[in-house]
Amino acid sequence: MTPVPDLNLTVVAPIGFTGIGAMVVLMGEVFLSRTKTFLGRKVTEVWIGSVLALVSMAFLSLALYAAWMTFASGEAGVFNPDHPMLQLDSFSALITAAIALASLLSCALAITYLVELRINHGEFYALVLLSTSGMMLMVAAVDFLAMFLGLELMSIPIYVLAGFDRRKLRSNEAALKYFVIGSFASAVMLYGMALLYGTAGSTSFDAVRNAFDLANPMAGIGLGLVVVGLAFKISAVPFHQWTPDVYEGAPSVVTAFMSVTVKLAAFATLMRLIALAFGSVPALLNVLWLLAALTIVVGNVMAVIQDNVKRLLAYSSIAHAGYVLIGFVTGTIEGYSAVIFYLFIYLFMNLGAFGVVVALAQGGQECEKIASFAGLARRRPALSALMTVFMVSLAGIPGTAGFIAKFWIFAAAVKSDIIGLTILGVLMSVVSLYYYLRIPVMMYMQEPSEESESHEIPTGEAVVLGICVVAVLFFGIFPNGGLAGPFAELQVLDWARDSVMFLFGT
Amino acid sequence: MALDQSLLTIITFFPLAVALLLLATGALSAALGTNGLPDSLWRAVGLASTVLTFLLSLQLFVAYDPTQTGFQFVEHAAWMPDFGIYYFVGIDGISLLMVLLTTFLMPLVLLSSWTEIAKSVRAYVFFMLFLETGMLGTFVSLNVFQFYVFWEVMLIPMYFIIGIWGGPRRVYAAVKFFLFTMFGSLLMLVAILVVYYLSWEQTGTLNFDLVALPGSDGAGLMDAAIPLSGQAPWWKTQYWLFAAFALAFAIKIPLVPFHTWLPDAHVEAPTAGSAILAGVLLKMGAYGFLRFGLTLFPNGAIEFAPIILGLSLVGIIYGSLVAMVQPDIKKLVAYSSVAHLGFVMLGIFVFNVQGLTGGVLQMVNHGLSTGALFLLIGMLYERRHTRMIADLGGVAKPMPVFAACFGIVTMSSIGLPMLNGFVGEFLILLGVFLAHPVMAVLATTGVVLSAVYMLWMFRRVMFGPVDHAENQKLIDLGLREKFVIVAIMVPIFWIGIYPETFLGRIRPSVIDLVGHVERARAAGEAARAIPRLPELSSAVATERP
Repeated sequence: MTPVPDLNLTVVAPIGFTGIGAMVVLMGEVFLSRTKTFLGRKVTEVWIGSVLALVSMAFLSLALYAAWMTFASGEAGVFNPDHPMLQLDSFSALITAAIALASLLSCALAITYLVELRINHGEFYALVLLSTSGMMLMVAAVDFLAMFLGLELMSIPIYVLAGFDRRKLRSNEAALKYFVIGSFASAVMLYGMALLYGTAGSTSFDAVRNAFDLANPMAGIGLGLVVVGLAFKISAVPFHQWTPDVYEGAPSVVTAFMSVTVKLAAFATLMRLIALAFGSVPALLNVLWLLAALTIVVGNVMAVIQDNVKRLLAYSSIAHAGYVLIGFVTGTIEGYSAVIFYLFIYLFMNLGAFGVVVALAQGGQECEKIASFAGLARRRPALSALMTVFMVSLAGIPGTAGFIAKFWIFAAAVKSDIIGLTILGVLMSVVSLYYYLRIPVMMYMQEPSEESESHEIPTGEAVVLGICVVAVLFFGIFPNGGLAGPFAELQVLDWARDSVMFLFGT
Repeated sequence: MALDQSLLTIITFFPLAVALLLLATGALSAALGTNGLPDSLWRAVGLASTVLTFLLSLQLFVAYDPTQTGFQFVEHAAWMPDFGIYYFVGIDGISLLMVLLTTFLMPLVLLSSWTEIAKSVRAYVFFMLFLETGMLGTFVSLNVFQFYVFWEVMLIPMYFIIGIWGGPRRVYAAVKFFLFTMFGSLLMLVAILVVYYLSWEQTGTLNFDLVALPGSDGAGLMDAAIPLSGQAPWWKTQYWLFAAFALAFAIKIPLVPFHTWLPDAHVEAPTAGSAILAGVLLKMGAYGFLRFGLTLFPNGAIEFAPIILGLSLVGIIYGSLVAMVQPDIKKLVAYSSVAHLGFVMLGIFVFNVQGLTGGVLQMVNHGLSTGALFLLIGMLYERRHTRMIADLGGVAKPMPVFAACFGIVTMSSIGLPMLNGFVGEFLILLGVFLAHPVMAVLATTGVVLSAVYMLWMFRRVMFGPVDHAENQKLIDLGLREKFVIVAIMVPIFWIGIYPETFLGRIRPSVIDLVGHVERARAAGEAARAIPRLPELSSAVATERP
């Protein structure tokens, strides 16, 4: 009789909560849609959607809490000590918490939006939860198999989500395009993993690290293919072509969700691979240098000529991926901490920006042409002000968190004497300013093209946008703890540094 | 004395606090579904808060001790202490005058735009107060990170002021203004980071403070030994670091090849925007050179001085010549700013006490007279809805008081003795003559040219027959407008007649700065003499075996 392995369930608690949540939501929809009345009230589709959203948010809160407690305790746990595949430590717990938070906000954002677009199906929340659990699996992985499992569990629900508005041609196109290119990227990555397995004889990060030798072409090619696979997910140039089409075609709330969470998960995985499996290989840093430079230039320059807000934000997210890559190029603790901080801030500002686009959708129509923002400040003053704050933050102007995030990236780069890339980065920030400012220009300085009555912001959207704007302004002034009370505990810069220092074992 | 200890913080943040309070009442009333406070109350509260800020800064002026050098009213508090980012404010004689100029112009500008701004009044008041905090923060910051934050934040309200309340091409002008300024300042950010890590390599502590806190034994960025050319990779040398700072400041001033945003921004901005832009924002570039450029990179500044002096001279002559042919009064005054700021830069980059004192005083003078000119042009525009010189003529007949005020301000801008402009220009020319006599002669032609374009414009607008019927019905200045102009004339005459009140406060700080540059010059020359020796000894060493 084989002994029962000493499983550590707290390690999989976040993944478990989200996974169970997905099942509960899926089942719940089936049962609720057959119920005519509940506690004497007529059950409507809107009501079902809201309940399912709240249930998913409850499960995500549990996952967030579990991950946060692991981070706060500072302890690392391995799921199965005999075969270490998943490890929840300071680093993966912090990223897991951030992913859970982003999913939670996305669910809140979706409630009214799905009704407005007439695609209010409960599967939406189940897919979001499934995908989230995949991301959590991916960042907790210390083994290539677990990592690939997580990657696929993350991606496949998102392929479906991108086509969620199935009556719209562009949504279908987005789904198919993402699916084909995404599968291709997965295959490339899998091939890379196979080659690495060939060099090490094991799929665990530790074994690969011990056997890793760039002189062996198999190891080098394996490393390259794995990085290419991840570069697809973070949409680094030249692996970015799918991004604008998918971001534009997918329903806005899906774009909001995937633009934030997928990046978080993929960047965190890349960092874990560098820390645990490859080490800071100079050749890898050179490749990342090139990727960063290309990504910043192409992302920012292409964004200038867009006339669709979602496409614009897609290219802007490519550009931001480039800035994050600068942090990787440094290969220092400062650089990686800046990356984590950047991703955390990016979560709020990008969710906020897409949140405004989400809140503007009504009557089955998205409001996504830049021209349709003309004179918006008259009709929707609150939304316009929020959008302005998010744009200013994405552009990296002081007073907002976006500046602090960029500042620490550039600081880390200057410290490592990466001066050329830094100068390229700041110059491209000026270009980015041009397209970010176009939206406030339209909202405040142009006359409205058509008259339409003003609307209240729905509660779900209002809460999310409120959280995002407060975070963007608060972390813009106090990134490392406020003046007093509970705010003094919000030391995001310290969190980022602690988690990275744990990861790199210093 | 509790007031004095945090006086600078109160002055800096009071306008923003009022603005946020007003915004909160607006949000509250929107939530309750009411209309909120009336527009006129917003205006009145905005005006009252700027007046109060001015009174507080008068207290600052009185309490400032001109016999001391170094920074006064210093406040130092932890912000992100792990990274050397502190809230650190303090003023010397130079920033004192800049603070006073800002707080003095703000209420006048708000008062003069009382009827001009009719749409979105609440947003206008909010942005003006926000802008005031941004400008004051820039002038009082002694932590470089904090300075950078204020320097950039200030762009946002100005961008909206030009973009929402401006003329027909306002969007183009606003975006151009924003992009130009950002372009320069982001390179400055990289330079700031390089200096920050250089200082960290030398002292082992991370600190963005420009100077060490008075009374502490720490070190500021100013104490870091920044390599001269050839002693380090190019981006770590004084020359290139200074160039990065200089670009940011030169765009703001603006020095000649970077000036193209200025005429657009001035012409399109509403009157209040132009007045603040000319009165205060342009000073920030020159102030930046004084506070950061010369103190952090004195050797870089010395190496760079010929370029800047040359560009300033070009600016004086080119600006004057272009101003002469402008058909639009506002554009004419905008180009005259290019020429005047050229004078300021000439004074700063001769590195002697006369030139620098004159430069600082001329910053104030230009703020007063050009600010006043823009306000007067705004008053005329409000009545006549044109700024074209050709459409005007004989305005002195229907508007005698206006013509008299305009005349005095014009004279102040030209530099007539007994008015402020003369004192500043005279000191600058004196300083330039001591250093580069030929340059002083060339600069003097700028004085003549400024008389040509200003007086010619004045004659064409004010005198002659009243050719256009619309001009006969013009109404003279009202009580509010008279008050604004008379108020601005008080310092114009004061500086012209008894400049010592201000010079006495500038001089100690300037002497300090000149001493700093001279010490660095001597040290730099000594350092350049040495590097030949190791080469010799190594050559000997290789021969020996």
